Amino acid sequence: MDANNLNVIVGEGTCGIAAGSKEVIEAFRKYAPEINIRTVGCVGMCHQEVITEIHDNNGNRYIYGQVTKKTVPQIIKFHKGEGEPLEEHLIYSPEKQDSHKWQYLGHQTRIALRNVGYLDPTSISDYQKRDGYKAIKKIVAEMSPDQVIEEIKISSIRGRGGAGFPTHVKWNFARKSEGDVKYLICNGDEGDPGAFMDRSLLEGDPHNIIEGMMIAAYAIGAARGYAYIRAEYPLAVKNFGKAIKDAHELGVLGENIQGSSFSFDIKIKEGAGAFVCGEETALIASIEGDRGMPRFKPPFPAVKGLFGKPTIINNVETLANLPWIINNGGAAYAAYGTEDSKGTKVFALAGAIKKGGLVEVPMGTKIRDVLEDIGGGPSSGKPFKAVQLGGPSGGCIPESLFDTTIEYAAINATGAIMGSGGMIVMDGSTCMVDLAKYFLSFTQLESCGKCTFCRIGTLRMRELLTKICDGEAEMSDLDALDELTEQITKASLCGLGQTAPNPVATTLKYFRSEYEAHIKDRRCPAGVCKSLITHTIIPADCIGCSLCQIQCPVGAITGEKKVKGSYTIIQAKCINCGMCFEVCNSKAIQVK
Amino acid sequence: MSQALEAKVEPEVVLEWIKKIGSDSSSTVPLLQAVQSQYGYLPRAAMDLIVQNTDITGRQVYGVATFYSQFRLKPVGRHIIKICHGTACHVSGADRLNTSLRHMLNIADEEQDTAENGSYTIEQVACIGCCSQAPVMVISDEVSGNLTGAAAQRALKKHAKKSEEIVANL
Repeated sequence: MDANNLNVIVGEGTCGIAAGSKEVIEAFRKYAPEINIRTVGCVGMCHQEVITEIHDNNGNRYIYGQVTKKTVPQIIKFHKGEGEPLEEHLIYSPEKQDSHKWQYLGHQTRIALRNVGYLDPTSISDYQKRDGYKAIKKIVAEMSPDQVIEEIKISSIRGRGGAGFPTHVKWNFARKSEGDVKYLICNGDEGDPGAFMDRSLLEGDPHNIIEGMMIAAYAIGAARGYAYIRAEYPLAVKNFGKAIKDAHELGVLGENIQGSSFSFDIKIKEGAGAFVCGEETALIASIEGDRGMPRFKPPFPAVKGLFGKPTIINNVETLANLPWIINNGGAAYAAYGTEDSKGTKVFALAGAIKKGGLVEVPMGTKIRDVLEDIGGGPSSGKPFKAVQLGGPSGGCIPESLFDTTIEYAAINATGAIMGSGGMIVMDGSTCMVDLAKYFLSFTQLESCGKCTFCRIGTLRMRELLTKICDGEAEMSDLDALDELTEQITKASLCGLGQTAPNPVATTLKYFRSEYEAHIKDRRCPAGVCKSLITHTIIPADCIGCSLCQIQCPVGAITGEKKVKGSYTIIQAKCINCGMCFEVCNSKAIQVK
Repeated sequence: MSQALEAKVEPEVVLEWIKKIGSDSSSTVPLLQAVQSQYGYLPRAAMDLIVQNTDITGRQVYGVATFYSQFRLKPVGRHIIKICHGTACHVSGADRLNTSLRHMLNIADEEQDTAENGSYTIEQVACIGCCSQAPVMVISDEVSGNLTGAAAQRALKKHAKKSEEIVANL
């Protein structure tokens, strides 16, 4: 086989890079300098990174997962007609189209993510080949703004950033607002820890987001747009910036688009690390150059927004669906999903799950189906305990409720929220009190400080949770948590404060016995809370390798090298950091 | 130590940014971002230059600089290690990365985040969107995932060798 005709495609989203894609590309260049290499965004199978796709000169397609620089020579050898295929890494091949690994994508319905991982995000022609900029061409030639809004109304899409407000209603407000200057903002400030679909879309399919922004802008009558992107996503900022430039050069974006009277231009504003800027009015304040603090609504941004002008803010994932909806019709989108939740939703799977990554499924799918059929079940072999949905504004859904269907109302009924779609899966090794404390520390840090209940209330909650984790709490502290939950929810101005107690409320509701174990028995059942656990070495299992002693940051371990069972932990010095547990290869460290 | 890391601010550089980025109040964040990308933090002299040469007030510059977590008011080391503390990283052991790297860099004082020799600064950051590879960290601009405390140490060791930095507890 002639290697000159081999096309190699390497997944190079941030997750691909984290798994070592740069080294893999280097290896391909070293062992087969003659082949063509192209990079694409993350297809969503993050657990298989680094993903490498090979197209040979017979038009066959092979996809390999978990590629490292060491597996590269073998892959090249096989495609040059020598040696055997690398079966354990092969996800897809002409002979292996139904492999269980491939089922990860097979179970999904990809609309927002339809292009990610299939095109080179830095190539505008790649996007055009996949129907790119067809939707905007269609609407400027054939549709009035009202017709566009009507089509979106038929699709019934609701904002995918978290709150789930019907998109066409929001657009209608802005369309009807007075004024010749209007703005369209793409909210790419994905602050929810645990959600990364916006990053993947901005990085892996930026033209799709640009086209989505153009459709929204056309509908509301905006000539200027801003893309507010987190500074923590440098690759997204880079790829999106290049996409704007290329779209300009090709005349798809800018003055008099497609020869019409519609003009639209986009500017990138990098965020500066403030979770509250995901809130609309705070985001606007941030673009205006101020501290990102929310203000009272009304007036809503659709009436009085950026620089005092009517403004619409749409989330990245919402925008990603728009070109597809225009090309295929609103009814085609609404055909997916349930009565109150139409279409598909992207989820970011992470934590104690076998196949972490991005998953797009029709609304109405059961949580269990996402975690088991697509996610492949728990990674540790221990059973699932809970899934955290909706980040700091969301809540924990226990395993007993995994048959809940994914739709706005059903998820809300559990006490969690759909949110932006982060799903952090947990098994027995996560302490729910520690998790609640983690989220409260997060919201407390991220509170803008404007409302007392949010600023001080979340601090008091965190103090109470710290007390519980330290084994110093009383049962009455749980009542105090309930009371604070109610007050903060009622008295905060914006969504951050109103939802901040949610992680506490849901863990208290579903995992109360864990709170009680901390308070009554001074015990952390998951073995996480440092004040309540001890690390000891089981002499019978200790092989005397000294790894734990080397790793211990506080010199709390003594023993004699090569003498089995000689190592012990000096409890007075031990800080329970868990380093010894992590490095011990013979499972001799006991955490209790 | 911090004395040695203090940056020398050249006024013409800052004035050039103002010319390029703008001098109205909506330029506040991008201007500070430009300053920080140059010096690694926001030197007081640079912030004063912005106030003197734009329509942006001192209240606004300092208000913004202290509000957003990205901005630093203290000098930093030559390289920055960002340890992700998103939810997935938290439940997968981000704390252990922190403990092991602080140990390696001999940063014992909890208030400190920079190694004594000015080589590395450890920073806790909110989610960097790489949750399925948790726990994750970034040294300079290199992301690595699926780490243990020991693997994080190996990555730091490799980086230190490449950039000829001395690490205390190697």
